[in-house]
Amino acid sequence: MRMEYKNFKEIPIYPKRDLSYDFLGLHWENPFILAAAPSTDDLDMVRRAFKAGWSGAILKTTSIEGTRVDLCYPMMSTFDHDGRRLFGMGNIDLISEHHIDVVERNVRTLKQEFPEKVVGASIMAGRKDDWQRLVERLENAGVDLIECSFSCPQGNIGEDPGKMLAQSLSATELTARWVKEAARRVPVSIKITPHVTDIVEVARAVKRSGCDALTASNSIQALMGIDIRTFTPYPSLGGKSTYSGMTGPAIKPITLRTIAEIARNVDIPILGTGGASTWSDAVEFMSVGAGVVQFCTAVMHHGFRIIDDLTSGMGHYLEEMEFRSPREIVGKALPHIGSHDDLPRRTIRSKIDRRLCIGCDQCVVACRDGGHMAIDARPDRIPVVNDDRCVGCGLCQHVCPVDNCIRMEEIAIQ
Amino acid sequence: MPPSLSHQQARIEAERCLFCFDAPCVKACPTHIRIPMFIAMIRSGNVKGSAELVRTSNALAMTCGTVCPEEIFCQSVCTRGKQDQPIQIREKHQYATTHGESSKRKPALPPRTGKRVAVIGGGPSGLGCAFELAKFGYRVDVYEEKKPGGVPRNSIPSYRLNDKQLEMDTKLLSSFFTIKRGPVSARTFDKVRASHDAAVLAIGLGEDRTLGVKGEDVKGVYPVLEFLERAKSSPRTMKIGKRVVVVGGGNVSLDAAATAKRLGAERVTLIYRRGEREMRVWKSELEEARRQGVEVRFLTNPVAFLGTKRVEGVKCRETILGKKKDRSGRPIPVEVKGSDFVLEAEMVIIAVGQTIRADWLGELKRRASGYLVVDERFRTSMANVYAVGDVIAGEGTIVQSVAHGKHAAQAIHHQLSERP
Repeated sequence: MRMEYKNFKEIPIYPKRDLSYDFLGLHWENPFILAAAPSTDDLDMVRRAFKAGWSGAILKTTSIEGTRVDLCYPMMSTFDHDGRRLFGMGNIDLISEHHIDVVERNVRTLKQEFPEKVVGASIMAGRKDDWQRLVERLENAGVDLIECSFSCPQGNIGEDPGKMLAQSLSATELTARWVKEAARRVPVSIKITPHVTDIVEVARAVKRSGCDALTASNSIQALMGIDIRTFTPYPSLGGKSTYSGMTGPAIKPITLRTIAEIARNVDIPILGTGGASTWSDAVEFMSVGAGVVQFCTAVMHHGFRIIDDLTSGMGHYLEEMEFRSPREIVGKALPHIGSHDDLPRRTIRSKIDRRLCIGCDQCVVACRDGGHMAIDARPDRIPVVNDDRCVGCGLCQHVCPVDNCIRMEEIAIQ
Repeated sequence: MPPSLSHQQARIEAERCLFCFDAPCVKACPTHIRIPMFIAMIRSGNVKGSAELVRTSNALAMTCGTVCPEEIFCQSVCTRGKQDQPIQIREKHQYATTHGESSKRKPALPPRTGKRVAVIGGGPSGLGCAFELAKFGYRVDVYEEKKPGGVPRNSIPSYRLNDKQLEMDTKLLSSFFTIKRGPVSARTFDKVRASHDAAVLAIGLGEDRTLGVKGEDVKGVYPVLEFLERAKSSPRTMKIGKRVVVVGGGNVSLDAAATAKRLGAERVTLIYRRGEREMRVWKSELEEARRQGVEVRFLTNPVAFLGTKRVEGVKCRETILGKKKDRSGRPIPVEVKGSDFVLEAEMVIIAVGQTIRADWLGELKRRASGYLVVDERFRTSMANVYAVGDVIAGEGTIVQSVAHGKHAAQAIHHQLSERP
């Protein structure tokens, strides 16, 4: 017999860990916010996100009334890998179809309903006047933070198609100055692209402009794949396609490097974005210099509910590490990053744990054809490392399917 | 007990989970554990968070992670199962509770409401109810004759669940309510009712049904609860016959048969009066019993237990399934004349169901089956007295009992908070 009480509701018993801290002159309930994207384009969606526990949101990039936003569909495509969906996600979306009149209203409503949340708005314009009008109107509406999209993969208003503002140092500095000039009250962050020769120069240009922060970084321009029977790339729009902006787990290492490189060279606050899906990704982003972390693709895949794991996981992590606040993570990895010249030269060898080895011999073939022919197969299928040939490159460790089975160990020099 | 998953196995299995929205597994779990979320937490490496989620929803988290028949609940409806294989949900639940024992963070009690509720019975439904009531801020007294745990403590064989696992659950629960040890009688029941704003009967069953067959009182013929309890509390001193016959057809009879085999019986025969299809058991349990060497004879009815000083055998008669069906919808077996035969046995275990043991329930209204009558808010016919678990539903699974307790607590809270 199954008896259910119709008004049943789960009651939590574990106290929530306080994850709040200050960054960029703002108070954040936790380090997790929503990036400017479809998830922040609708008032009801943002409401639901805030109720679920997100500490802030950057509303999808808006523009002056009358700006033409010429969308085409389908706009999404994915890079699936080894049976996993959405390893990377591509979009040919543009800025929001909601112009500033709608967005300023949304900002007002959200600030009224959720005064404790950080309500940011992303903007894009061409002319100086338009940039500055957007800033003024958002400030008047009570926005907490302004992000400027200098890096939409489909290009910036007023630029050549596919050209981004953030690819030009002079345009970046000039436009950033306009925006900062207009912003009397709230911090301004410039969202940049990793598609530049030297990200540090871009960051310096933003710093010179007087803007308060950088959002690093936007999606990666990508061709998401090609149908090999019709030769149409994805997404296919009646036989035509274009380059997408790729996001998701696949771009995380690129973003990490971008943030790290900025943080190591320029003293400017960073909002991290691009490829974070879990609380531990967020820890990584923060450890290379991000003050907060924006999420988009993971939410578009699994919904706002992922905030439950983000806050719970972060709470337990802080406890384990004995950190008092997420702030303490910021920059923790930077001292460990240097140039190739600075790295220690050690003599190491691969070591296979015979008890854990399951005998797939993937290390054997990888080393034979891609390493140094230093791992020998054996009749019992447990391979043996030839110490004279092994140079310790580490390839075997990464093809091994078993956790901790292969380790690189330092050996005494004879 | 099944071996628990390694870290890597747990992660790989978690990666298979589709993280369904409004997931069928959550609905199928009587305690409504947020299964996709706790699995996502395992996937992200937040095992402690995962354990907290499971523990919040299920008072006997460790116990259910070990013995819950997932094949009839969560796992049976897993969406992934429509693609290839369902997620091993129970194994993941067990992994979370085993490896996610929380660090410094302890569950917090809410502010007290000032009201008191008595829960009579410290089994799964009682503990589930007391836990949930405490979450609302009630002062809860749990009255229990033995150590808390009920059926999982006393009669689930230790090869399926050991005391250490149950104790992990009861230890965590102990901060939520007070256990009052001692038997309850008509007089104490009145006193308990008078001193609390509500009383919950979570007393279970506990009385073995008898067959009414000749020779049932001969030495060596055991009611199943007595057998299982003795086998669990003193397995070393318990004398097991060489040949054991178990009469029954439910999960408890399988537990008894497998236990007898484990304790050294050479030949264990389970006799059931209907066929395999009519058996109300979890398939995995039947397979497990067979794997251990238990022989199952279907369409066999005991007609007498032989022997004077000690049992020597069971006189059986073959049956066929008739066209008529009983209340359970299963065909009624009909004995076949002249088909009698004898199964020799030094020990017989009778596992044909249980009834309510408590004799102090007085005028409380009962159903034809003997179980207590409750309404949709778990109210009995007596004012401010509620009932949960086996005492209203008959023998159920542990998770169903925990869920009963949990749902009843919410109903009780609604009523007590409406009352000034």
